[in-house]
Amino acid sequence: MGKEYLGEFEELVLTMVGILGEEAYGNAIVQEIKERLGREANLSAVHVTLYRLEDKGHVKSRMGGASSTRGGRRKRIFTITNAGVAMLKVMKEARTDLWKLVPQLKVVSV
Amino acid sequence: MLRFLQWFCPPALVEGIEGDLLEAFEYDLKEVGAKRARLRFIWSVLRFFRLEIILRNRFSIQFINTIMWGNYFKVATRNMAKRKLYSFINAIGLSIGIAFCVLIYLYVEDEKSFDQFHHNKDQIYRLNESSYSVWAAQRGEDPMHKSAYLPLPLGTAMKDEIPEIKYLTRFNDGATAIFRYEDKVFTERITFVESDFFKMFSFPILAGSADQLFKDKHEIVLTPEIATKYFGKDDPMGKIITLDLQGEKQFTVTGLIEAPPSNSSLSFKILVSTENQFSYERNREQWGNFSYPTFIQLHQNANLTDLKQKADKLIEQKMGDRLERWRKDGNIPEGYPVFELTYTNLADIHLDTEVSWEKVSDPKYSWILGGIALLIILIASINYISLALTTSASRKIEVGIRKVVGAQKKQLVSQFGMESMVLAFVSLLIGLSLAFLFLPAFNEFTGKGIVMGDTNLIRLIGVAFTTAMVVGLIAGSYPALFLSGFLPAAVLKGGFTSKLSAGFTKPLVVFQFFLSASMIICSVIMNRQMEFVATKDLGFDHEQVLVIPTQTGWNEEADKVVEQFRNKLNTETSVVHVAGTSSSFNQGWSRYGYKIKEENKSAYVYRVDPAYAGLLNLEFIDGRNFDESIASDSTGIIINEALARDMGWKNPLDEYLNWREDSVGLGSKVIGVVKDYHFLSLERDIEPMFLSMDKKNTGYLTTMLVKLSPGEISDKLERVKKAWTELYPDKPFDYTFMDQDVANQYQTYKRWMKITSLSTSFAIFIACLGLFGLAGINAINRTKEIGIRKVMGAELSNIFVMLNKQYIWLAIIAFALAAPVSWYVMNKWLGSFKYAIPMSWELFAVSMLTGLVLALLTVSYHAIKAALINPAETLKYE
Repeated sequence: MGKEYLGEFEELVLTMVGILGEEAYGNAIVQEIKERLGREANLSAVHVTLYRLEDKGHVKSRMGGASSTRGGRRKRIFTITNAGVAMLKVMKEARTDLWKLVPQLKVVSV
Repeated sequence: MLRFLQWFCPPALVEGIEGDLLEAFEYDLKEVGAKRARLRFIWSVLRFFRLEIILRNRFSIQFINTIMWGNYFKVATRNMAKRKLYSFINAIGLSIGIAFCVLIYLYVEDEKSFDQFHHNKDQIYRLNESSYSVWAAQRGEDPMHKSAYLPLPLGTAMKDEIPEIKYLTRFNDGATAIFRYEDKVFTERITFVESDFFKMFSFPILAGSADQLFKDKHEIVLTPEIATKYFGKDDPMGKIITLDLQGEKQFTVTGLIEAPPSNSSLSFKILVSTENQFSYERNREQWGNFSYPTFIQLHQNANLTDLKQKADKLIEQKMGDRLERWRKDGNIPEGYPVFELTYTNLADIHLDTEVSWEKVSDPKYSWILGGIALLIILIASINYISLALTTSASRKIEVGIRKVVGAQKKQLVSQFGMESMVLAFVSLLIGLSLAFLFLPAFNEFTGKGIVMGDTNLIRLIGVAFTTAMVVGLIAGSYPALFLSGFLPAAVLKGGFTSKLSAGFTKPLVVFQFFLSASMIICSVIMNRQMEFVATKDLGFDHEQVLVIPTQTGWNEEADKVVEQFRNKLNTETSVVHVAGTSSSFNQGWSRYGYKIKEENKSAYVYRVDPAYAGLLNLEFIDGRNFDESIASDSTGIIINEALARDMGWKNPLDEYLNWREDSVGLGSKVIGVVKDYHFLSLERDIEPMFLSMDKKNTGYLTTMLVKLSPGEISDKLERVKKAWTELYPDKPFDYTFMDQDVANQYQTYKRWMKITSLSTSFAIFIACLGLFGLAGINAINRTKEIGIRKVMGAELSNIFVMLNKQYIWLAIIAFALAAPVSWYVMNKWLGSFKYAIPMSWELFAVSMLTGLVLALLTVSYHAIKAALINPAETLKYE
């Protein structure tokens, strides 16, 4: 399939998985996105994205321990894989390279 | 909600998703309150219903299922054979539903197919005029009135000066003329078109050449039907015939054209060049005479917007002065155009209800028909569901055993689903044959000429197939889920009662009854209204009256024919009166607008002779009838009460009506006042009208009324006909009966009433079948109870009441729901009549009683049967 590619939302979710470490599951990611970016993400969208990332091999998942708060349901905890970290890195570098090519871009008077 | 999630979500993912959802719910509970949190929860679950989740399911299990399908099929057929009555009820209901769907699909397809067969349909437009109507504005309606009739010179100028127009033709239909070839003389419908007609439209030319036709004024083109009628097997080409169009003229047959199909907005039998039309020469320069429907065809790549601009400019240039004058005369407010040209694409003509045109139809009829089909399908599906649920008791053990042996819930669902599919497909076959059977009757009801062709047959089967699939799935899914949900341990342990326990059936039955009840009420009211319309005293006598056109055209001759015929029939005892009029009931009218004291008024005008009022038995409340011997009567008028009211006259006999806006004289003297009678249909109020003998200004006696003495008609008719052929051997004797003409005003209503009555009876029939089945099961469920009650001394009547009580209640609830709904619908329908029956409570009472009696009759059979069984029979095994 040639070079792998991540969509904007996929990249965001993948980063969040990286940030949250052991506490990365659907709801936590929604909350985190809301807190850090002020952006309302839909739970189902996050889930679907996580499954897609798992298919691509950027994250892996396992079931966490049971707790009483979630109606007794266990959490599906996602962790970022090496491939995922590499992917994030590649994307970030690519963007930085491109950024450098933009001539003297300055934020003019806020 | 979570069950829904579990249903579609792959098992591996469910737990994590559920947990997240619940966590979010708990969070929301604190943040936004219970109500909003619940809504958000439901919404979030629904958001998970997306392909990316659903497709993560593994479909392998379904492969295992297929192994069992042969078995399911066998069980399904066995079950159907075992329960013949219920299978029959279900199959009949569904087949009728499918048949209706198929027919209504055909109807809608036919509506959509109108005029689609023309190759140039995208380039062909009908021109319409849109003009400001003072009358409509006064009545508070949309003042812009649209019509397809245009001045003759406008079309000519457009064709000459606008390059976008490739072809142009007028299309005047509805004229009649006497057609003669050797000894064959008949009145025929004539259509006037121009030579471009043959190049624009795709009616196949069977003989002659499209490019050459109508080069000469005296050419005539026939449809094969007409050609055979006059020439038999001879070749019609080159034959010379005589047409009486304002005098006899000879025409040469130069072409044969295929008759238009039933889904064509343009219909014709005989085509003659527009040049032969009455006062064609004069109208060529008449910009104010709007009487020519005009069609144009654009060049392949021409733009309609360009054309519009050019046409508007042309109108301004040619008609500008005139339009200004009309604006002043007509008091047309600024901001409204006096006259505007609009364009309707050929393919849109049929459904454009704004412009009146032959066969134009309101799309709402398609919706009504579709709604009826849906109702019937719904009722049939409910039958299936409630019967399946109530018979479920006997299949509990089967479900238990299957589960014990290892059947999964999904397999059971597909088993029961399969059963309803088998049923649906049996119904599909019956339904299709029913549709074929009903098609002629359906054509008659809807006034269509639909034929089952090869091309639509495949799509038709597709439609029927889809309907069967959808119904099978919808009706089958609930029982399937219900039946497969039994717990094997509970079922197989025994000791369960086999009483009907599914609470869901009652609302279903109520709903079914509600639908039937609404339909009953509607059809009772519609029938009453039509009865009212048919029997209402119209204020004139229309029995035993023959209406005969004088066949002379619009001239002095017409008056003479009436006179001659009256003298001829003078000695005939079976003829009471002979009178002449400019137009008879439901054969057209003319209306004059005039201004009196700066106020716009209008009145309907009928040219009559002195015998007219006597023949119709009109009641004079003031003044007298016309008298031939009084010379001044020729300008006098007889008015109706409505006109006197409209003018505000106290003593109408002292008044003059200056309806011709005569600046010198006073106008027409009123010599009599007749009691209001319905000269128009009951959809309309009685509006101002007057009768006149003034042939110069109100026209000629083109129609003759012959009143026969009471009693058997046929031999009297024969004698009148004989008198006619003796007097006018070269003129056809055409006639109608006045009472039929009057009744024909309500033909569309009658047609729709027939359709609703028919579908109502089908709906009720299906609902009753369902009820019959339910009552039967209920009675069987309670056989033992009835036995014990009888042993304890219950009377037959007690048991009868006990078994029927619940159905009566269901029916009453349904009626209570149906009454307001049907009241609303019928109120709207009756609103289209100015003279309507009041919607009294007794109409509802009658409908309710009918419904109840029907329901009671249906359920009684089982109740009585159950009540009559000897208790020893039912209890002997205990």
